[in-house]
Amino acid sequence: MGAMTWQQLRDLDCGAIRALGDGWKSYVDAMLDQTERLRTDVVDGHLAVEHYESDTAARVREQIGLTADRYEDDLSDYASTRIATTLHEAADAFEAEQGEIKELVPLIAAHDFEIEGDPAEYDVNLSGELHRAILTTDPPQWLCDMVGIAKPAGAFDLDRLKVLFNGVDLYGTAIGLAGQYQDWLRAVMSRTRDADDEAAAALTEMREHPTELPPRLGAAYDELVGDYREAVSEEVAAEAKAIAEGTSGMSPEQVNQWWDHLSDSERDALVEDHPGWVGPVDGIPTGPRDTANRSLLDREIDGLDAQIADKERLLAGTDPESDEYETLTEAVDGLKDDRADLGRLHDRITDDDGGPAASSQTGQPFNLLGFDTEGGGRAVIAIGDPDGADNVNTYVPGTGNSLGTAGGLLSRAETMAFDAQRLGGGDDTATVMWLGYDTPDDLVQATDAAFAREGARDLESFTKGLRATADGDPANLTVTGHSYGTTMVGTAAASEGLPADNLVMIASPGTGVDTASALGADEDRVWATVNRDDPIRYAPVHGMDPTEDGFGANTFTSDAPAESSEWWKFWEGPIADHSSYWDENNGISRDNQAYIVTGNEAGVR
Amino acid sequence: MESPPESVYTQAESYAPAEGAVADLVAALPDFPGFAKRSWAELPCTRAGVEDPDYTNVELRYQFSAEDSATPLVNERYVDLLREHWRGLGHEIIRDDTTELDDATYRDLTAVREDGITLWYSAAHLATLMVQSGCVPRSDPSEIPYVPPSGGIRPGGKGDGVGEYFPEGIPAARPANPFDAPDTYDDQL
Repeated sequence: MGAMTWQQLRDLDCGAIRALGDGWKSYVDAMLDQTERLRTDVVDGHLAVEHYESDTAARVREQIGLTADRYEDDLSDYASTRIATTLHEAADAFEAEQGEIKELVPLIAAHDFEIEGDPAEYDVNLSGELHRAILTTDPPQWLCDMVGIAKPAGAFDLDRLKVLFNGVDLYGTAIGLAGQYQDWLRAVMSRTRDADDEAAAALTEMREHPTELPPRLGAAYDELVGDYREAVSEEVAAEAKAIAEGTSGMSPEQVNQWWDHLSDSERDALVEDHPGWVGPVDGIPTGPRDTANRSLLDREIDGLDAQIADKERLLAGTDPESDEYETLTEAVDGLKDDRADLGRLHDRITDDDGGPAASSQTGQPFNLLGFDTEGGGRAVIAIGDPDGADNVNTYVPGTGNSLGTAGGLLSRAETMAFDAQRLGGGDDTATVMWLGYDTPDDLVQATDAAFAREGARDLESFTKGLRATADGDPANLTVTGHSYGTTMVGTAAASEGLPADNLVMIASPGTGVDTASALGADEDRVWATVNRDDPIRYAPVHGMDPTEDGFGANTFTSDAPAESSEWWKFWEGPIADHSSYWDENNGISRDNQAYIVTGNEAGVR
Repeated sequence: MESPPESVYTQAESYAPAEGAVADLVAALPDFPGFAKRSWAELPCTRAGVEDPDYTNVELRYQFSAEDSATPLVNERYVDLLREHWRGLGHEIIRDDTTELDDATYRDLTAVREDGITLWYSAAHLATLMVQSGCVPRSDPSEIPYVPPSGGIRPGGKGDGVGEYFPEGIPAARPANPFDAPDTYDDQL
């Protein structure tokens, strides 16, 4: 089947998809009544011990209980988590994008643009009529309004002459607007495909892994039932492994439902025996993720210590003049760097007694939601508990960051947390430092959008996980990008979709799109800032500067407090200003961010 | 490679004058109800958009309780008194504004001293005095001195949130007295 077209999306009956999901949910509820009856009326009723006491009766009761368990598990895993939730999530996603299409397509038509090309990458071009109108210097009213002229009324009309001789850029303006609509349309269709693919993956995985049933009663029952119990136990582990490796096709919401359905002992066993299948997984609640990740961190540090010791032993017996010696030395240095980075991370989030530390700034506990030493390294750390918070702010840093700089980034996140507590009116705000992608090493690499594209799915998954694990009402969720981090946030929002209430773009080199409309969030809740001296405003390499009027975001004030050390070192101040948004003398920027994050937009200036 | 602008202090040297500024403020405020908490924070110092591990921004944070923050004394009168006090000391006021929210009014007053230290009084839900060093050369953790807190916080007590700097425990501290700060911290630098 080919990709969905915009017409198909526009005409899609999302209500029917949702009703189908509701139907499956109702079916699950009705069927659970049946297993309840089996247990109460049969196992604990007619076939209860007081009526039938024998080995055979015990086996029958056990077999019925196992069958009921199996049935309930399958109802939960398949009918509810897989089918109903997939249908609900798909309906929600399609409906959101359908709303965008229904807003966008009339705008495209009203401006005499045309949608052309393949659904995988639609173009929005000027129609033949619009071309003619511009060529004959008879532009439509909307275009006259955009370029600031009155609609020409005759052959020698002054505004027609302006068009002809004063360089009023009708074509450029029209093409610019068409480009914004094209960004918007492509973003809508990208997110639609994403939702479609995710739904298909969830359903496909279900079909490919049929579950086992309990053994039938008979001569071999006693022999087989032990194997069955073991298989059920292994099944949980296999599911956890598939989820962690990303082959289950389950969304974070589905992972959360799966986790909820496990018994306490199954959850504890996974955290203890397989922390690698728990710690990094979006959709599993913060508490067990933190416990599992701390265990993984200890293991990783121990493993690095052992590797360093092994390699140093080898080094001692190697000729210092040999190539092998040089190779081994480099390897040891690399391992020592990783060990130092992880050691600092460990010390930062661990108290003197070896337990989880709390932030000295807010008193909130640190929660380790992920880390990795591959490439530049990654770290995802929450200050506070995102599952129970009123507000959650996810901070996405930019160029030049790695596990080695995670400490400084965490300090910045602590300042954001502190400011939210200072201004938040008593609300509980959790702040997450999400260094969950491979950032560009330097400004040259930062001109490449590939880093953002490669991290987009992970940021989508992480934010969906935050939604899935929320206790009670969903938090007011903000995603804040700084510098290349805004490119990361914008790319993820436009291509995959981020379930955020607020998107905040600080000192952006471009968000990957030219209009806030393409970000899939309410434009009234897209925010951008850049201070007057920040050189990034002259380098919009990833699309329009989001603080420009044409982008359509709200803007807020940030000062430019940095100064050069000498008058002739004129570049020092502006360069420092690119990262001054949390610095001294920039309280206005810090306050504005905190007001957005805590839902006090009235305070933003 | 260029370094951040020259600073008067190193990180280790910056705590004493910054704490001195807090003590000075406490002495200037009548009917002082006492702070609930102090902490020392560090912010990354960056160059060309990339963190420079050899430098850091120190920020001292002294916070009132939510109850005291909501009083007219802390929310309004102290702002007026500090404005007058800091002007009298010749500090440059760089921010002086009021923010009206649905159910509260917050006030911000920021001044810069000649030595580059910034003083920010934020009369908010949790009224806070922040004293900032600017970009200073990072010091070895062992060089950072314990400077007792001001404003009624007991050294090493629950409200003294600087324990992470002193993993061996807070050094023997004198009793908390907000009004006995020395006139100068020169001999401690």
